[in-house]
Amino acid sequence: MARHYSETEVVAILEDLDPARLRSFVAAHVVTPVVTPDGPAFTDADLARLQLLCDLSEIYDLPTDALAMVMSLIDQLNTARGDMRALIQAVASEPDEVRGRIQTSVRRLRIVTVEQG
Amino acid sequence: MAGDPYAALGLTKSATDAEIKKAYRRIAKADHPDLNPDPAATARFKAASAAYDLLKDPEQRRRFDAGEIDAQGQERPQRRAWRDHAEAAGNPYARSYGFDGDPDLSDVFSDLFGRRGGFGGFGRGGPEDPRDFHVRGQDYRFSLQVDFLTAARGGKTRITLPEGGDLEVTIPKGLRDGQTIRLKGKGGQGLGQGGPGDAYLTVAVAPHPDFRREGDDILLTLPITLDEAVLGGKVAVPTIDGPVNLTIPKGATTGQKLRLRGRGINGGDQQVELKIVMPAQVDEDLARFMEGWRKDHRYDPRAGLKTGG
Repeated sequence: MARHYSETEVVAILEDLDPARLRSFVAAHVVTPVVTPDGPAFTDADLARLQLLCDLSEIYDLPTDALAMVMSLIDQLNTARGDMRALIQAVASEPDEVRGRIQTSVRRLRIVTVEQG
Repeated sequence: MAGDPYAALGLTKSATDAEIKKAYRRIAKADHPDLNPDPAATARFKAASAAYDLLKDPEQRRRFDAGEIDAQGQERPQRRAWRDHAEAAGNPYARSYGFDGDPDLSDVFSDLFGRRGGFGGFGRGGPEDPRDFHVRGQDYRFSLQVDFLTAARGGKTRITLPEGGDLEVTIPKGLRDGQTIRLKGKGGQGLGQGGPGDAYLTVAVAPHPDFRREGDDILLTLPITLDEAVLGGKVAVPTIDGPVNLTIPKGATTGQKLRLRGRGINGGDQQVELKIVMPAQVDEDLARFMEGWRKDHRYDPRAGLKTGG
């Protein structure tokens, strides 16, 4: 079971985070605490996410609605990247003949060849 | 941090606190590891953020400048990168990114990766339990050779699957060479509640010795005798649905085309091209008649040819 951190612990660990900022992140649904009998809790992954949220708030002075949009794009990109990695690994373990067919098909769809002169 | 914290921020010792903050923000905007995947950018960001951590506090900066503390001891114990968690399977913040609504690809996509929350669909847990693993069965692809008349008329054929077992396949009327028959649910078994895959049969239609096909029309070359050509008459013609009587007009000639309406496929016609065939042997009677006939009825079928023979 993943380690859980309380609100107080999270605020103590992350230097840029204070209780008000944490509450605004939760209210904007950019981070979602786990509900436990002892109240809301955060995982290690949430800690890393909160670090990024603090960085984005600090570096860009982002208001929370813009932050929600940016996080949605980052989440889409990371999900796509994880899927792509899995797909590439699956392709890599296929025999040459299958990889060749996939390569031909992908090139036809994605790479434009310009005829010279 | 190996080097000079001022250098990591692109500054010198004379920089003001405001310049330090500005320099850190500039580097963080360009090189934050969650925004820039380049490893060199990550290295620059790490150096800059360690430097900033040391220099942003005026008292700490004074002690560093005075040589009371060194840069090394001030490094952050660890920096948490969201990206390390974000690509992981089962990340509760995973988001769909555009294939779920694609009419052609959504099934392929969800077979591979399952379904995820869309925009605004935050929240973890949800009805999906990752232990419920559902995958649709594999699609099978086969080639199927069908004889000409079965393809034209429709019918049934049995096929033996490569992995054993056989299957009755209904051939739709008018099936063309190269078309694909989809047998829903006849592919591999799925996992969990994922249904079975489909079987796809790519059809090759075998040629027929007499019939050919042009769209929905059937083409046939019909041999006729010399006397049928001269005198005309009724002859039996094979069609895909059995023989049909056809009236040969008087004076018919090789290459002439007659049409049997509605005798093709799905309302198409059968086109009959006539071909005069001489008797196996030209006998005395025929030869004598032709000799007499030629004296008075000479004709030149080659008159229209531009290049004289």
